[in-house]
Amino acid sequence: MNPPRNLNRDEVVLREHSFDGIQEFDQRLPNWWLYTLFGAIVFAVFAWLFFATDNGAEAATNRLASQLDTLDAKRFAAIKDLDDKTLWAMSRNQSIVAQGDKVFHSICYTCHGTNLEGGIGFRLSDNLWVHGTKPMEIFGVVTHGVPGTGMQSWNAQLGPAKITQVVAFVLSKQDPNNMILIPRDQEPTLQHKP
Amino acid sequence: MPCSIPNRDSVTTINSDGSRNFLHPADVNGPFSQARRLVAVLILGAYVLLPWIKINGHPAVFLDVAERRFYLLGCTFASQDIWLLFFLITGLGFTLFFVTALLGRLWCGWACPQTIFLEHVYRRVERWLEGTAHHRRMLDGLSWTNPEKLLRRGAKVVVFVLLSALIAHIFLAYFVSLPELYNWMRDDPAQHWSAFLFVAALTGLLYFNFAWFREQFCNILCPYGRFQSALTDDNTLVIGYDTKRGEPRGKASDPKAGACVNCLRCVQVCPVGIDIRQGFQIECIGCAGCVDACNDVMDKLGRPHGLVRYDSLNGLTGKRRRILRPRLFLYTAFLIVGATVALLCFSTLRPIDLSIVRMGGRPYFITQDTVRNQFNLRLINKHDTPVSLHFALDGAPTGLQLVGTSDTVVLPPDEETVLPMVLQQSRSLYTGPAKVTLRVSAADKSFTLPMSVEFLGPDARLLREDTATPSP
Repeated sequence: MNPPRNLNRDEVVLREHSFDGIQEFDQRLPNWWLYTLFGAIVFAVFAWLFFATDNGAEAATNRLASQLDTLDAKRFAAIKDLDDKTLWAMSRNQSIVAQGDKVFHSICYTCHGTNLEGGIGFRLSDNLWVHGTKPMEIFGVVTHGVPGTGMQSWNAQLGPAKITQVVAFVLSKQDPNNMILIPRDQEPTLQHKP
Repeated sequence: MPCSIPNRDSVTTINSDGSRNFLHPADVNGPFSQARRLVAVLILGAYVLLPWIKINGHPAVFLDVAERRFYLLGCTFASQDIWLLFFLITGLGFTLFFVTALLGRLWCGWACPQTIFLEHVYRRVERWLEGTAHHRRMLDGLSWTNPEKLLRRGAKVVVFVLLSALIAHIFLAYFVSLPELYNWMRDDPAQHWSAFLFVAALTGLLYFNFAWFREQFCNILCPYGRFQSALTDDNTLVIGYDTKRGEPRGKASDPKAGACVNCLRCVQVCPVGIDIRQGFQIECIGCAGCVDACNDVMDKLGRPHGLVRYDSLNGLTGKRRRILRPRLFLYTAFLIVGATVALLCFSTLRPIDLSIVRMGGRPYFITQDTVRNQFNLRLINKHDTPVSLHFALDGAPTGLQLVGTSDTVVLPPDEETVLPMVLQQSRSLYTGPAKVTLRVSAADKSFTLPMSVEFLGPDARLLREDTATPSP
């Protein structure tokens, strides 16, 4: 049978040091507790070796950079190959136009009207354009907004993909050869209503 | 036979060389043990069954971290409601203060998962496979080449690992739901390696804790155990030994001796290795094992119960017991205030979240005919059913109109959307800036959400004098 292990339990060991007559017990820490300390020391050495040497820190930096790249690539994928020709081609694609229609009628219609007839914003159903007649110029207006007017930048809210769709939708009502650039004060929505 | 009588100068479970003194508490039975077992069965039942019971189409408790939806007993919370957690945590805190001041470490001995799993699951298995405390201690002394030890201990390890895996899987089910967990379990571990690793690590941790670490957790790691000294006082219900009645210890036949016959049953059954007769100690988890053990012995001796009993420290020394004391009223008051505020907050919860932000650019626009403010409405449907919404203005000055969002908007389940909202007033009716209330209401009239909006513009007098300068 197992012999009693702690026969000397009742013998109290005191530390020599005495403060104002108060002495402390000299008890051992539990071994498992000490092992957690030793384990932490060993871990610290390896962690230091990993992060203080090139590979660890660099690996972390590279991982961050590559993930940012992936995000950027996704963000720019929609605009990278975008030009006037592509946007015109998109405006003749039924499914893209349908998606743009959805975006327009959830957001843009508030100012530009359900039938693009204008209101708070400019009329988009006619062929008169103030901020440029090229598709990429219209794309820029939606993306960056027009400072000083009610048109805000929609990039953060919609993103390039949805902006492309909604520009395609607007262009689908236009004839590429019949878009006329006019000065701002001749825009019909701004004409004083009697 | 216990190793020796514990003292108050050292921890029984730590030998003088720092090694572990592994306890083998003896069997104990009695009313408290049985009541505790009943409570444990109820709590264990709740733990195992909650993910299986469905309320309103969702498990009773399902913390869907991936989708950030939290289903609690039929209510749905979204991550936007996380601030309500404040009330849950402070409520738990005050309940803990209250219960501990009144009843001492009732939680530790009766309801803590550590105690429930250890006493009522793992130690039951240990008792079943390895026999009594005496037998278990004998197995400790044998070498691993002994076939009996190999068989009994080996079987115990296998059952312990299986139990730990079961507990870990149920734990995960609270966060991913049972059907999903079942799908994952049938898949290749590599498909869900993070969940697999989590369950494996949790199984290992549970095994280590319940097979070896045990009371070390309560004694050394658990912060709640340390709170006790601050939360209990001389009127708190604790388990204690009636020194007046018990001392001096002596043989049952000795007429000059007290009631305690020094049989050491209270020490043998103690799961944390203390001698309750040495007074209230920080290791005590209030399991009442010694109460049942001592009452049993008193029965055999034909003496009254209660040499070791539930009582306050005042009661144990023969002083007056006082249950109602100022701190209890204080804790109760805090609890009531907290619960009232929590109830008010819960009653304001709506299935949708609404925020209004002014659009980028100018705060207001003046055209030939109108004064105009532009906003972005952010709407979040927190529930998994679509919601139809109506928009209306309350307390608006004459002529102030809501443009764009006046018709019904249908918000799909769990979806977030941003809508432009324009407030517009004819220049001829404009009287200056105004504070209005946008009232968003469900089409089925189940709720309305008022939101105050500031309609900005120039001074009305200046605007009338000004010639029109259009700027759409």
